[in-house]
Amino acid sequence: MSAPERTLSWPSADVSAVARLRAIAAARPHLAYREHTIAAPFERVWSIFGDLEHGVPRFDRYVRWIRITARDGERLRLESNSPFGRFGPPMRFEAIHRPGWCVMRSFESEVGMAATPIDARSTRVAHFEGSRFLGRFGRWWFGRTIEGELETLGRLCEA
Amino acid sequence: MRAAQGGDVLALSLLMDRLAPWIARICGGIALEQADDAAQEALLQVFRDLSTLREPAALRGWARRIAVREAVRHAQRARQERGRAGGGDVDQSGAHVGGHAGAHLGGRAIDPGVAPDVRAVLAQLAPEQRAILVLRDLEGLSEDEAAEQLGVAKGTVKSRLFRAREAFVRRWSP
Repeated sequence: MSAPERTLSWPSADVSAVARLRAIAAARPHLAYREHTIAAPFERVWSIFGDLEHGVPRFDRYVRWIRITARDGERLRLESNSPFGRFGPPMRFEAIHRPGWCVMRSFESEVGMAATPIDARSTRVAHFEGSRFLGRFGRWWFGRTIEGELETLGRLCEA
Repeated sequence: MRAAQGGDVLALSLLMDRLAPWIARICGGIALEQADDAAQEALLQVFRDLSTLREPAALRGWARRIAVREAVRHAQRARQERGRAGGGDVDQSGAHVGGHAGAHLGGRAIDPGVAPDVRAVLAQLAPEQRAILVLRDLEGLSEDEAAEQLGVAKGTVKSRLFRAREAFVRRWSP
């Protein structure tokens, strides 16, 4: 009987979802990027942060509704309310969505969300948003916006 | 790749899925306890400078060079700090034992039952030796390619590799 194939278990770094999102944000200088630590377990945080249809409208005051229109594994198509008010055309997004990770883009905007457990009771979250057309002003404006969104998310998760 | 270079965040996400585990493994074998920081820094540099890469086919070599450089830099800095603090010369590996590389270092088969000890054995090598082992035995580069990646002469690769393999096999032996 021949010896079984022997392989080497090689040490590997742990690159968290938050670290990955940080690197993607570095590729897009116009994006506003923020990180927060939330005192709640990952499952609790992602049940709100990652729930596009029911969770996101609770912490993002500019999103009244999101509807998933198509799903193929991790690939989603979405619609959300217009940024121009009740009678504007909906925004259409394509997204990659999995536990702890969501990246989406529409014609005019880009959004990223990631969450990584720190321990059983706390979670690191990261969020970016940006407009392809607003440039540096967009970065400043979205920076203020997502700061507030993450604070609201923290309050919802820690409640 | 062109879409990622153009800034499409979905293409960047897919590229991240491809690059992150690979860079994590390169940094894991070289930087050991500093591997998480080295991999993060390497990925930040790769994605930040992605649009400057003229030839998409060169991505792998370019990203590997960044990952090895960051891993060696982090490992050397940790080693210097330990030296200043009066600590030993052995890296305290915090890297996670991850996927199976399928490598046979120095032609020696490794018993999977003791495989986690590979971290302790690697920790006794210098960061430059670990970099050579990673490039030749994990990545499968030729001596010429490894020399080009590390910016050293081919003779230096040969001698470092010989010493690294010898040290690895000797330290692996019971």
